[in-house]
This record gives sequence, structure tokens and C-alpha cells, in this order.
Amino acid sequence: MPGRLRVDNATIHSLTPVFDFSMLLSGPYHHMLVAGLVLSLQLLAVTLVFAVPLAVVVALLRLSHWAALRWLGAVFVEAIRNVPLLVHMLFWYFGIPELLPDPVKEWLYARNFEVVAAIVALTLYTAAYMAEDVRSGIRAVPHVQFEAARALGLSYLAAMQLVILPQALRIIVPPLISQTLNLWKNTSIATVIGTAELMYQAAKVETATFRSVEAFLFATVCYLSVSLAITGLATWFHHRYPVRAL
Amino acid sequence: MRIRSQFLMVAALAASVFSTLVQADQLDDIKKKGEIVIGVLGIDEPNSFVDPKTREFIGYEIDLAKAVAQKIGVKPVFKQVAVAARIPELQQGHVDLLAASLTHNKERESQVDFGLTHLVTGSKVIVKKSSGINHVSELAGKKALTVKGGTQGPNLLRVVPTAEIVTFETTQQAFQALQQGKGVAYINDEVSLLSDFAKLGAANKDYLILPENLNVEPLAFGIRKGEPRLKAVVDDTLRELEASGQAEKLFLKWYGPDSRIKFPKREFKIESDRVAG
Repeated sequence: MPGRLRVDNATIHSLTPVFDFSMLLSGPYHHMLVAGLVLSLQLLAVTLVFAVPLAVVVALLRLSHWAALRWLGAVFVEAIRNVPLLVHMLFWYFGIPELLPDPVKEWLYARNFEVVAAIVALTLYTAAYMAEDVRSGIRAVPHVQFEAARALGLSYLAAMQLVILPQALRIIVPPLISQTLNLWKNTSIATVIGTAELMYQAAKVETATFRSVEAFLFATVCYLSVSLAITGLATWFHHRYPVRAL
Repeated sequence: MRIRSQFLMVAALAASVFSTLVQADQLDDIKKKGEIVIGVLGIDEPNSFVDPKTREFIGYEIDLAKAVAQKIGVKPVFKQVAVAARIPELQQGHVDLLAASLTHNKERESQVDFGLTHLVTGSKVIVKKSSGINHVSELAGKKALTVKGGTQGPNLLRVVPTAEIVTFETTQQAFQALQQGKGVAYINDEVSLLSDFAKLGAANKDYLILPENLNVEPLAFGIRKGEPRLKAVVDDTLRELEASGQAEKLFLKWYGPDSRIKFPKREFKIESDRVAG
């Protein structure tokens, strides 16, 4: 067995040089990868800030009394969810801005438009999914509770605020955290439009050093740790604020 | 029964040891398969691209690769590879030979072996005339666009360290981004750049190819390390093409004044597999 092991190691060494840990911990490549991680986290945070309110608005549209608004909400959700995120990215980066007037275009392009387009695409994509979770959460609270609240003399808003939403919130948050996890992984797609996030930097380091294992291991560890942290948050929430029997 | 199973085990063990000892080299494998798998970019006119009529890969490197296959006496099979993935594809054995507009440089020599240099070119920069930029040095602090995984970005940074490089999945996306004004400059090797410039048609009067070469780029076939016999066949094929004048003809066919690229003349010969460090 030891002989066998030696042969295997020799084979591995002849294929790729020894794993170089130090390049991940310091030096220019370390800085590139960390800069990528920071931008990925920023994409995650900014997208969440925009996507959650947008999701609530779309969910309310879909629950509206008026057919036109319901229809509008449905079109938003279906049109966005049924198109791959990659297409959204290329569409918002290469497609839409070309329709803008020239001065606006120049103003946009003089800034970091790679990041802006990524945030727009991620926000719309994530909001479409989250809207459905929010809508399901609200619908999961039996409608008779709303009627009972109104019968007790609460106004529409008060009934929502005091009776429906507190219960709906507990149902909505776990799937929203799960969507956040998807969003975190989806930020990597932004690499196709030149957004300098984690995957972009990992690919850049790989090109510069030929050290694929090191570069992508760094990215994997980053994605994995943030993902596990998000999963942990979901588990904690579930225990701390369990859904009450309806 | 017991003796027989023991015999089988010994035989199997011997077979496995034997096969690792006398491992056939890649050239033998290729001959055995009856085909050579050649990694090509397939979207890089005129080196390798798809003929719109026949849907087959055609181009300068395709013709050279076909000559190699013919020399070995096997069928050429072309497999499209991405710029950033081409060297790993070769190392992992997904392709036998790379004919993928691969620049031969010192850094890459530790990763792959190279055939004789079959094309000498350089990276150049194209800008919009409206940017007012006339020299590469004026790109300091400006956004320059190019493809992921190539040598173009690092080459510009060597000359203009403060330029900001933004990379895309394909050269055409990077070029598209230049046309849309998402950066002031687009970097590519001279050949592809001339081809892109030609694609602009009448609009090319608004663009300017900067005069400076960022570097000299010798293109060569990529061969997995430790396959001297395959490399010898590749190099012999190229030497014969050069000696017979066929190499010159192929260059003129794809790059010459009558081609779409319109290179004025051929300023190199296929003779060496050495590059300057």
C-alpha cells in the first residue's frame, strides 16, 4: 500500500505543481480574490435591499382586487422566472441600455455599469421568485381571520397589520432566506458581463497563475461558507420563530 | 476453484502492472482510435471558424491541423474549446492537440509543449476616433475591453499599468461592448482585430487601430507535455508544408491581400519552436 500511495503522489505532482496555499493567504492574487468576495457580498446586499420591497409590491399586485393589477403582477413573475438568469444579465448589459438616449448612455457607461446591470438583473430575477413566496405566505393565513378581524371592527390596514401580516411573516421568512441563498449563488453569473465579482477574479487568477485548483478552491470555500451561514440563519429563525398553528 | 480464482487475481494484477509499465504514448492512442481530436476556437476568423454554408470548421489552423492528421493517417475531429479552458482541456486529455489561436509564451511552457510557430502576430488596440486617443500610453486610467483568459489584458497592463481591464466570455462580446461605448479601447491580437475591423464595414471610419504593437505573439499548436513523438509528427508536417511552399499558400489564402484580413505580406517562416522570454 505505501508503494501504491507513492506512485499516486508522483503522478499528481507530475501533472500539477504542489498545491500553493500561500498565494491564497497573501500577495496580489489574495487581494484580487478578496476584492471579488467583497463585491459579491455587496451584490448580495444591494440586491436584497431592492428585491425584497419589490417582491412585496408584486405580491400585493397579484393579490389585488383589480384584475388588471393581478394580471400585471402575473406577467412580471412569469416573464422573469421563465427566462434563464444568464439571458437577463446579457439583456440588461448589452440590450436595454442601447435603447436609452445618448447622454444617459454616456453617463451610465462612464460609471461602473457592469455592477449596475448585474444588480438590475439580479434584483428583478430574485424579486420574481420572492414575490411568489410572499404571496403564498399571505394566502396561507386563512381568509376567515381577515373577515373576523373586520367583523370585530378593525380597519383594512389594522387587520393586515395586527392579524394577517404578523402570522404571514413567520411563514414567509424561511423561504425568503432560501431565495437569498439562491441569490448568493446567482451573483456568480454576473461574471459574464465583466462584473469583477468572486468568479471573475478567480478566473483571472487562474489565467495569471494556471493554478485552477487554488483559485477555484478559494471561491468554493467562500461560496460554501456564506451559503452555510445563510442556511444556519434559516434554521435558527425556524426554531426561534416557529410557524404557529393556524 | 480456489486455485483458479487465485490465478485470475494474479493475472489481473499482472495485467494492471504491465499496462502501467508499457503505457502506450499519445501518438499510438491516436493511431489506435483512428482519429485525432483537435481543440479549436471555432469563432476566430480566419484561424478557425464555421463555414456558414457547410457548417464545417474552416480556417488557417484548421488546414494546418488537417495536414497533421493526414500525415499521421487518421481522421481529424474538431472540438470547440473556450479560450480560458483550452489548456486544461488539453492537459485533461479531452483533446489531443490544440489549434486554438494559442500564443506560445515562456509562462505557458511549463504547462504545455508547443509545435513550430505557425503564425507571428501581436496584440493591438482599437479605439473609437471620438475618444481622441492616438497612442497606447493615453489609455492610462481608461477602461479597456477584452476576452477572459487570453494574454491581451496582461499585455496592455505591462505597457500601461493603470489601465482598467474588463473581460468578457468571448472576443465578440468585448468588441460589442466597445461599439456600445462601454469602454474606450478593445484589445485583441492583430489578426482578429483586423478581422473585427473589417466586420464593422462602413462604420470602421469611426474607429482607429493604434499603431503600437503591445507585444509579439507567436501562435503554435499546443501539445500535452511529455509526448515527443506526437510533437515530432506535428513539427515534421509543418516543416514539409514550409519546404513545399504550401505553408505560404495557406497563409495567403486566409491572411493575404485577397483575403478578408488583408495582411500586406508574410513576414515570417515556419522554422522554430523557440520564443523570446
